[in-house]
Amino acid sequence: MVILTLTFGTVGFSQIDSKNDSPEWHLYIDSSIVTAQRIIKDIGVQQTKLDTVALRENISTSMADVLTQNTVIFIKSYGRATLSTASFRGTAPSHTQVTWNGMKLNSPMLGMVDFSLIPSYFIDDASLYHGASSVSITGGGLGGAIAMNTKPAIDEGLAVQYIQGAGSFDTYDSFLRFNYKNKGLQSSTRIVYTDSDNDFKYVNYDKKEYTKDENNNITGFKYPIERNKNGDYRDFHALQEFYFTANNNSHFGLSTWYVKSKRGVPVLNLDYRSENSSRSQQDEQTLRTVLSWNKSFTKAKLMTKAGYTYTDLSYSYSGDDGTGTMVKMIHSQSYVSTVFAKFDIEYYLGKKWMFSANVSAHQNSVNSKDDAIINLDNKPVIIGYKKSRFELSSFVAAKYRPSERLGFAINFREEFYANKHTPIIPAAFVNYDLSSDGNIKLKASVAKNYRYPTLNDLYFMPGGNDSLNSETGYTYDGGIEFTLSNKKANLKGEITAFNSNIKNWIVWLPNFKGFWTPSNVKKVNSYGVEFKLKTMVDIDKNWKFASDGNFAWTRSINQDDPVNWADESIGKQLVYIPEFSAAITTKLSWKTWMFTYKWIYYSERFTTSNNEKNTKTGRLGAFFMNDVSLEKNMQFSWAKIAIKILVNNIFDEEYQSVLSRPMAGRNFGFFIEIKPDFKNKK
Amino acid sequence: MIKTENVKKILNYISIIIISLIAVSCMDYGPKSESDFNFYDSNGLFIVNEGNFMYGNASLSYYDIDKKNVENEIFVRSNGIKLGDVAQSMVIHNGLGYVVVNNSGVIFTIDINTFKVIDIITGFTSPRYIHFVDDNKAYVSDLYSSKIYILNILTKKISGSIPVKGHNSTEQMVQSGKYIFTNCWSYDKKILVIDSENDIIVDSITAGIQPNSMVIDKNNKLWVLTDGGYQGNPYGHEIPSLFCINTSDFKIEKKIDFELNDSPTNLCINNTLDTLYFINKSIWKISADATNLSGVPIIPYKGTTYYGLAVSPNNSEIYVADAIDYVQNGKIYRYTAQYACIDTIDAGVCPSNFCFKLK
Repeated sequence: MVILTLTFGTVGFSQIDSKNDSPEWHLYIDSSIVTAQRIIKDIGVQQTKLDTVALRENISTSMADVLTQNTVIFIKSYGRATLSTASFRGTAPSHTQVTWNGMKLNSPMLGMVDFSLIPSYFIDDASLYHGASSVSITGGGLGGAIAMNTKPAIDEGLAVQYIQGAGSFDTYDSFLRFNYKNKGLQSSTRIVYTDSDNDFKYVNYDKKEYTKDENNNITGFKYPIERNKNGDYRDFHALQEFYFTANNNSHFGLSTWYVKSKRGVPVLNLDYRSENSSRSQQDEQTLRTVLSWNKSFTKAKLMTKAGYTYTDLSYSYSGDDGTGTMVKMIHSQSYVSTVFAKFDIEYYLGKKWMFSANVSAHQNSVNSKDDAIINLDNKPVIIGYKKSRFELSSFVAAKYRPSERLGFAINFREEFYANKHTPIIPAAFVNYDLSSDGNIKLKASVAKNYRYPTLNDLYFMPGGNDSLNSETGYTYDGGIEFTLSNKKANLKGEITAFNSNIKNWIVWLPNFKGFWTPSNVKKVNSYGVEFKLKTMVDIDKNWKFASDGNFAWTRSINQDDPVNWADESIGKQLVYIPEFSAAITTKLSWKTWMFTYKWIYYSERFTTSNNEKNTKTGRLGAFFMNDVSLEKNMQFSWAKIAIKILVNNIFDEEYQSVLSRPMAGRNFGFFIEIKPDFKNKK
Repeated sequence: MIKTENVKKILNYISIIIISLIAVSCMDYGPKSESDFNFYDSNGLFIVNEGNFMYGNASLSYYDIDKKNVENEIFVRSNGIKLGDVAQSMVIHNGLGYVVVNNSGVIFTIDINTFKVIDIITGFTSPRYIHFVDDNKAYVSDLYSSKIYILNILTKKISGSIPVKGHNSTEQMVQSGKYIFTNCWSYDKKILVIDSENDIIVDSITAGIQPNSMVIDKNNKLWVLTDGGYQGNPYGHEIPSLFCINTSDFKIEKKIDFELNDSPTNLCINNTLDTLYFINKSIWKISADATNLSGVPIIPYKGTTYYGLAVSPNNSEIYVADAIDYVQNGKIYRYTAQYACIDTIDAGVCPSNFCFKLK
């Protein structure tokens, strides 16, 4: 056993499964014990682990906010509780592969994941696998992969946690968790309900309200103060888990997650239609369930999983038909179901070798239709497609550690979809400890990866192109990781440089027929540097300090052949990808108080492929955000109570982070957490 | 291992970094400056740049035809406010420019020489085109609303509507006498005939699948271009055609066929109203007297994304818009009536529609 890393933890919100039940609230050094096996497993892997602290820092956040604040991933968010997609190392949303308890979360229809629909309260650990490292999770992660998992609690007995939040814009968040553990058996129920009018006020600098004289001449103007229209949302999530540990080191788990989401799609600030003359709405119901069985032996580990996902997604646009009646003018409906199975085996040969293999299968079915457009002979006609696809991914890896300080790994993956398959996806990794105490490490990895088209890419009506090929990515990276620590302080840093070339990138463009169709046209070279720094200091008995920062420099360069002589987009940064991004979370605690400061920065994002700077219409200047919170923990004989006040956008900045989508100014949240003490802890 | 005294140093550095970061935390957003323009006494061409759907980056450009000089983003530069989401079309009537912004649900009227906003007309669902019936009344077609709006030009208010039940959209409008013809484009094949004196639909003409544009020639014939739908379209997929229709009895007189996979759009007519122009990957023309298509395009496709077309009512000069990759500023190519390229003009994102301002 080797004590390798020191992670930072707090007893704060939602630490229901924390080992530390000390009434005094303080930072502590939780020593994660890492076995020699673990070292072999992680050879060369560029990984960012999100611990419970990051995931629960703000209970009401979605994974979109957690990734924005704690990782180098750029999340393009259209606002509170609206579509939030990821760009990992300058790639497209579909290039970030996401799994939940081993099952793919990427929509087989769209290819991407909306992170605003994943409450961080439901995720117990999450790891980012950068670039080549994603091959060990799944294929197709041309930018990377995110593996999210739920975990059984540690403490025996009954535990209950209730958190109620209330915030600006009539926002109410409720969180409830019941946990019961008795020897090998455990049940955990988590519920999240969030409801918001989300009708924040903003000054609309893109419109003017003119005043006029009797001759209709304009005499003055003011910028209207408008409300975020149609941005209300109501999301309900429930997660039920059962865990059972048999005597012979075998573990069973069943996780079922149900989502019901009803969200208005906020209108642009350039919309002049009255609020009650149109309404766009997105409704989703999703059920995901994963059954798992793990068994550990001295030298090997077996893992099997089976799962099922069903999604009912609808988008509707209703408008006044001219008679004052609202009718559905657009109604897109899709039903997506996936049956999933995975078998995984790890085998350790002595202390120097590890072999692993897995195979996963997804059977996807999509029924996508648009049923409000056409009337043929006065009968509605449905436009859409209905397709099923079987996907199989097989993986083998060998890892070798010839000496304490040196490690090599090689992975191969191959993916089959329908009657096609990707070429073999190879990845290689190397790890070298520069210092004998293991505190300075060098890492490098290389991979050739493929992502096959989504069902919409192939079959969407109109436009689907069934002759599309897989996208190809060739990526390599190298970096250095260091840890410095003494009894009172710890500093951990990591710097990585990467380079990726992606070709046959699928883009949807209008064709000569006037509708959009995808083709394998784009070539992109993305390269850059990722930098992470984490520190924590026990200043004295009462004062603790911690800071966690990340910075990324990402060039994501269009290397297409020019469309024609006038094409000025070659050699330019892709649209909506910032060249620089950074985020810092700083915490200062004194006894049972904790103050948190969060800061986020993105450089200018371009909205045109030629990176036009001389424009008043399409500019999105650099983005800075500052949020603070203050928490207080209290211990009573009957319960633990914590209260928290947070202030987002403390400088009340007026801004847009996506064109024509104003964001909320300074806003507040208040949370109270109650954990009854049942005196049943061991 | 770090020494304890270094801990304080590290803390100091971090504090400095954080404080300096906060100090620069100010976003560049707010009121936009305004400029004054003066284009009195100039022959000009307004270029309507559609922008990208849901980006809100539509813009208006003004090209001085005589000086060959272009000013981009004239609407926002002149008024300090953005034009909106998906600018669709522009028409000049009685010295006022009417700019129809589809997905903003608005029509701006602007001074055509200074580009200053005069009026903001609202109340539409998804307006596409405006047609002036006379000096009092205009019709506004709509993509989603099953009606044509009647606009009182004097009050700049919607005064009524003409229901078009059973049709999803109305698009362009052309006039012959008291009749206004409008094409129902989206998953439709009808041309509706409106009696503009009584604001009612009096007849409809069945053309081909998806009629997208119309003109009226010197003989007062209505020409309609269809795109034929697409493969797999539940509404049908057929050969696109050019229809010639009698504007008195509404009978189809001629039908000129394209190839099945052609997709002709943007039908225009020259200054003498005897030659039709359109985009079908390249730029083509056809005489109003012809019975079939000519073999050679007048302006060939060169990797270009021809997205808009206009023919000058003054001298039949041809203006072709190139949207390039749809997400960068497009170009306009100006040709003489004899197809010689005489200028290349920088425009905005997705230039699609034109409006001549002639002295």
